[in-house]
Amino acid sequence: MSEQVLLDQVVLDCADFSTREINHQLKTLAAEGITQVELLNPAGRHNLAVGVNAPLKIRFRGAVGYYCGGLSDGVEIEVLGSCGWSVGENLMSGSITVQGNASANAGATAHGGKICILGNAGPRAGISLKGATLIVTGNVGYSSAFMMQQGRFIICGNAGPSLGDSIYDGEIFVGGEIDSLGADARLEPLTEEDWHRLKADLNPLGLSAEQCNFKKIVCAQELYHFKAKDFSKWKDAY
Amino acid sequence: MERRVLKTSSTFSPEVIDAIQERAELGRYIIRGYGALRNVPRLDDLVFLTASLTRFPLEGYREKCNTKTLLGTRCAKRPVELDVPITIAGMSFGALSRNAKVALGRAATLLGTSTTTGDGGMLAAEREASSKLVYQCLPSRYGFNPKDLKQADAIEIVIGQGAKPGGGGLLLGQKVNKVVAGMRTLPEGVDQRSPSRHPDWIGPDDLKIKIEELREATDWEIPIYVKMGATRVKDDVKLAVKSGADVIVLDGMEGGTAATQSIFQEHSGIPTLPALVQAVEALQEAGVYGQVQLVISGGIRSGPDVAKALALGADAVSIGTASLIAMGCNKPVYIEDYEKLGTEPHHCHHCHTGLCPVGIATQDEDLMARLPVEEATIYVANYLQSLVMELQSLTRSCGKSDVHNLEREDLVALTLEASAMAKLPLAGTDFVMGQ
Repeated sequence: MSEQVLLDQVVLDCADFSTREINHQLKTLAAEGITQVELLNPAGRHNLAVGVNAPLKIRFRGAVGYYCGGLSDGVEIEVLGSCGWSVGENLMSGSITVQGNASANAGATAHGGKICILGNAGPRAGISLKGATLIVTGNVGYSSAFMMQQGRFIICGNAGPSLGDSIYDGEIFVGGEIDSLGADARLEPLTEEDWHRLKADLNPLGLSAEQCNFKKIVCAQELYHFKAKDFSKWKDAY
Repeated sequence: MERRVLKTSSTFSPEVIDAIQERAELGRYIIRGYGALRNVPRLDDLVFLTASLTRFPLEGYREKCNTKTLLGTRCAKRPVELDVPITIAGMSFGALSRNAKVALGRAATLLGTSTTTGDGGMLAAEREASSKLVYQCLPSRYGFNPKDLKQADAIEIVIGQGAKPGGGGLLLGQKVNKVVAGMRTLPEGVDQRSPSRHPDWIGPDDLKIKIEELREATDWEIPIYVKMGATRVKDDVKLAVKSGADVIVLDGMEGGTAATQSIFQEHSGIPTLPALVQAVEALQEAGVYGQVQLVISGGIRSGPDVAKALALGADAVSIGTASLIAMGCNKPVYIEDYEKLGTEPHHCHHCHTGLCPVGIATQDEDLMARLPVEEATIYVANYLQSLVMELQSLTRSCGKSDVHNLEREDLVALTLEASAMAKLPLAGTDFVMGQ
């Protein structure tokens, strides 16, 4: 038997269950009042902790695959390893912390909550971000924050080409170098309020905002409405 | 005096001249609503071989003709049960007014069928109005959330639509009012550029994982549809099946849209007729025909269209533009407002402007008031009802007591093009074009 119950905490060994059974267990345990679940041997499996809508603390001891925590609401997830594509896809609220690296599309379309990648993230991180806070302490790949709509995206390391392409709204902060900005993204000076909020976001992760030379990127609003004279910008927009 | 002779160029027709000059003014491609304006081979080019001596017809007013339809039997615990094989296609709140969405929901409920959300998410009033609601998962993911997902009766992953396969939409800022912008988390009044592909996966291998994610989020309760615009139909259908789709929704090039580049509508995709035939073949070749259901859409307008689609192998049809026409789209009322848009009834395709004279494709409260929900509901319900009656009449006349018993041998083609595309004999001959 791989299930251990310690007061309000449960330990499950993923090797003994299908993904469907694991997710069913998580939802059932949360409904029964369990507050913490530790999952052993996730082995990079896809779709773990998907659709959980309870304030359940879930810790994965190892790497997870695609969509970890996707379509969840209010859950608290910690991954003691790396994660595959689209971690926290469409997260509504709660938090996901990945101790390792994230593959492509981290935090795609996330509406709310906080997703922290304590390593590097691949391309298209924060794609279509809709209101969540996404923090990557390392670097991010190309086309990150593509079509971002709302929210905050904090990158402590470097950003790849076309950062913030076709961004509608929201704020991006980059502590390292930016390879290039995408269409309709522009730099803007940081305010005192920005620094205050950066400290509030990074201090709990043991990071100091002052150690990074943060630059702020916002929407230039030149693609909000087509004007014939802006053709070159539209031509180069993805 | 020199004799005045007016000759129309077939290369530079009046429409082409207008289009060139419109581009010269705008500096961009032409955006419009509705669907393809060009003529294409369609279901009209087929006719039924109804009963005579070799087949025995059923009595129209005495013998029953079943229309029950089941969608999503492959994996879901709760397949969608419909009283009729005619569903309402996905059309967004934002493109359509609130009244139009609610009326479509109520009419579908009256007929025991489903309606579908669209870009913009699920409107609470729409959920309330629709007894069966299909929740679309679109590339934009505007307003998409797990709470609404759990309220859905099926999920439709939209890869593309017939009016613009491979292209995104462009909802002009005049329709993105405070409510629409709020639902889509966009700045108010911005030109909304819908993406052409999903942000969190690329290709069929990822789609398989995406489908599993949606199943996990809904506890494997409800079916997953995959909707595609008709292009490389055989390969696309097979890949969607391999990815785990419960239902394939295929939209031919006659399908409509709220707003996109005119070039997509006129120059991309293939018509519904050949798309349907290829989709059925693909399901048969994949060994899942009957297990994975097929819903066909794109220019379906009449009971005969529905009957022919079913005879060619579809399990159901989906109707978009025709349901809007039923509630008053292009109706000859408020003529002055059509004229202000530079158009007239029967020729209007100005859905993208938000100035819809009949209150359907608008977010303007005054215009929307021209479409009372109750009246619009009755029109759409009556229209759907008439389609069902026409479908049943043709089915009975073919000697069948279930609309799903219509089959290819009940049809012949009237034109060489239709014969080739449908792979049916030309009427009065044994000749199948291309075979």
